[in-house]
Amino acid sequence: MTIALPAEAAVQRRPFKIDMSWPVLLAFAALLCVLIVLPMSWLVYYSLVDKAGAFTLGNFVTLFSEPEFRAPLVTTLMLATSASIFCCLAAAPMGWLVARTDLPFANAVRALVTASFVTPPFLGAIAWELLAAPNSGLLNKLYRHLTGAEMGEHIFNIYSLTGLIFVISCYTFPYIFVLVANALDRIPGDLEDASSMLGGSAATTARRITIPLALPALLAGMLIAFLQAMTLFGSPAILALPAGFHTMTTKIWSLFQFPPKPELAAAASLPLLVLTVMLLRAQHMILGRKGYSVVGGKTGDPRLIRLGVWKWPAVAVVFGVLMLPVFLPYFALFNAAFSPIATTLVTPENATLKNLWFTFSLSSTKIALQNTFVLGALTATLGTAMALVIGYITVRRAVVGHQALGFLATAPIAIPGIVLGVGLFLAYTQPPFVLYGTIWILLLAYLTIELPAAFQQLSSAYKAVGNDLEDASRILGATRLQALRHITAPLLRTSVIATWCFIFVATIRELSAAIILFTSDTKVVSVLIFDLKESGDLGAIAVLGLLMLLLTFAVVIAINRIPGFGAAQRLRNT
Amino acid sequence: MASVELRGLTKHYGPLAVVDNVSLTIDHGHLVCLLGPSGCGKTTTLRLIAGFVEPSGGEIRVGDRVLSAPSRTVPPERRNMSMIFQSYALWPHMTVAQNVTYGLELRKLDKDTIGSKLKTILATTHLIELADRYPGELSGGQQQRVALARALIVEPEILLLDEPLSNLDANLREEMRFEVRRLHDQYRYTTVYVTHDQSEAMTTADIIAVMNLGKIEQAGSPEEIYERPRSEFVARFIGMSNVVRGKALDRDHISVAGQTLRCVGDGLSAGADTAVSVRQHVVRLCADKPQSTENILPATVVRQVFLGSSRDYMVEIADGTQIRVVATPTENMAPGSSVWLHLPPERCRVLAG
Repeated sequence: MTIALPAEAAVQRRPFKIDMSWPVLLAFAALLCVLIVLPMSWLVYYSLVDKAGAFTLGNFVTLFSEPEFRAPLVTTLMLATSASIFCCLAAAPMGWLVARTDLPFANAVRALVTASFVTPPFLGAIAWELLAAPNSGLLNKLYRHLTGAEMGEHIFNIYSLTGLIFVISCYTFPYIFVLVANALDRIPGDLEDASSMLGGSAATTARRITIPLALPALLAGMLIAFLQAMTLFGSPAILALPAGFHTMTTKIWSLFQFPPKPELAAAASLPLLVLTVMLLRAQHMILGRKGYSVVGGKTGDPRLIRLGVWKWPAVAVVFGVLMLPVFLPYFALFNAAFSPIATTLVTPENATLKNLWFTFSLSSTKIALQNTFVLGALTATLGTAMALVIGYITVRRAVVGHQALGFLATAPIAIPGIVLGVGLFLAYTQPPFVLYGTIWILLLAYLTIELPAAFQQLSSAYKAVGNDLEDASRILGATRLQALRHITAPLLRTSVIATWCFIFVATIRELSAAIILFTSDTKVVSVLIFDLKESGDLGAIAVLGLLMLLLTFAVVIAINRIPGFGAAQRLRNT
Repeated sequence: MASVELRGLTKHYGPLAVVDNVSLTIDHGHLVCLLGPSGCGKTTTLRLIAGFVEPSGGEIRVGDRVLSAPSRTVPPERRNMSMIFQSYALWPHMTVAQNVTYGLELRKLDKDTIGSKLKTILATTHLIELADRYPGELSGGQQQRVALARALIVEPEILLLDEPLSNLDANLREEMRFEVRRLHDQYRYTTVYVTHDQSEAMTTADIIAVMNLGKIEQAGSPEEIYERPRSEFVARFIGMSNVVRGKALDRDHISVAGQTLRCVGDGLSAGADTAVSVRQHVVRLCADKPQSTENILPATVVRQVFLGSSRDYMVEIADGTQIRVVATPTENMAPGSSVWLHLPPERCRVLAG
């Protein structure tokens, strides 16, 4: 082709313009591979070799034949199944009451559910230990005080499978509650009105219309609850180990205690990984089925059902249930923080600040706090930055192959924290990358764990800004970068701040991966709490736990108050 | 001179040719409408001209510069064009004035020039009082005018409009059609206007290019397209046409349902299957058999609707083809009654293929 026209000069001003899209794509693809593909490959490799490095299926044979390993597997499945059923029984009626009836204090209920949502499960487990340990538990003491029963008698024993199921349910039910309440919020009132117009009574309408429409959300919520219960490390480590049994996660952890057996740990991690992937697929299918999506059109507000005489009993039951994940544990933590002995009731006479002094005088506290803040801030900053770039590339289809980046950025959602911990341990204790023992390996773990949520949040923010807004600026003479700076950046600011805060909060409470990857110099607060538990310093745990909660609530409330965050409406002015 | 020339322009997405070998010349100062149903490739053609999409084949020239070719595409910001988006794409974080002056600021004009140009354009588009509002606080029609002002203030060589009126309600849409034409007559930018609404195209365009399945079916003045559609697609898409089918008898006669019709168009070859289009309002409806026998088809009334200024008939001829007829309101024939249709020979157009 000959392009020798004089007016071409203007066009050819920058003849050596380098196409930056390929380097960018490759750099990010490589980074994501280091974060995800490398550890997972090592995981699979280790599960298939023996100590000498020869190929074997022996690890899996051991895993499924020896009772030492089979028992935790069975326990975990029982635990996850019953926890998801319990959660469903508690959360579904609550979700319905809040979304569909004139229940008083509905907003307070939502806020309290959020509170149990953001409470780190291991902290809840420790709080319940304070409440319901057979001898020292506050509730058991109260029982003995009221009935005059002998020392040693108890009504609650938290160190049991039942106790563990109960505590896990306390901090897992919000997943179901949120999904169900949101689904019910979104069902247009017209659908129910249409049923009433055709002669359906309130009960018929609920049975034939409302419940079937909310059912997919409920099922999806149960799967998530199952997943959560299956992959938790903190609560079983705190409650199952003293009771003398193992779940899969604690078993994997114990394989890293002396003498370490990484091959077996890798083999034990794979079933968790496979189950997680399968459950997420199932959840996707349930929620994605077209027949269940609510068909558009103008929709009315849902009609609230009058509870009548049941109003106050309902309130009593809901708040009674919320005692378990929120009021009682928080009280126990406060009590432990200011009482001379963690499991003695605090009174104005014996209240003390010695736990505070003790906690902050520990040298490990200082290191852990510092590590936690540095890692939290670094993870949040790097994670947000990565999600910004990957989100831009995938949403704007900026380069060929953007789908692969999107897939890689979402994939970690299917990797349970402890499995990722094992994978990273295997990948970075040997050349070419030796990171074990530094805080960088924790940074990698946190980044990987938080990336999917950050990516999803910022992708939807990009989608909300829309292509046209950027294109309009391009056609008026702005370069790609100018368009990003003038148009996209200001519109994205609140989402970026919110994403940063979410990552920060999620990072400081992470335990499952950190417990495999920490060393004494790289302890973080969650690991320190776990350690203090082993040495029995419940007062210090309570102080650190409250600090963590305080920080979490401060950030969550701040996000909800960001000016303009609620004004996302304005983005859709067209 | 900002004439635009598309030469064999093609865009593939995978195996699918969204724009398929499109060639079109737009003279300086003309307004061309790309008209077609959704999915016909008109918006992709527009985005190709704007430079948001790279062509897979062919090229786009403005004057004697090649702006787009598969090997090299000038980015949109260096094309000196303006575009009005279907969604208006007003930036929600900027006021009307900030939105409108954005392009001038990128061109680094001094403050006074920007101020005076802003005043002029806001006056032209009746937006003076709204200068400090945010887009979220404007009505649809006002947002539309801001989008126009923002595109016009930079004095582009070429103005692109992507279904600019489709988000407005019916009355406002009608008003804005004339507004677009008025502004075009005032500024005389070379303009490409994409729409699926034929009356919008009729009102605004110098040239209409009817697109279907990624190709231009026919391009010409509104009269030409309307009076002399070249394909069944164009005949059906533009205005209200009936299409009857039959076998050609000789150069200008076809046999339809046992009757002979004389028509006009390119010479027919005897024996070929042929389609003929005739507008709904030129067909005459008679209750009694007319004297003349040329171009008369017997038919039965299927239904009729009284529309005030006219009556809308659906009738069926012997081969089962249904024909719509717009008749005067006084001709009242009940469904089921036999009627005779007169199809004026000079208005029966032979369609290609």
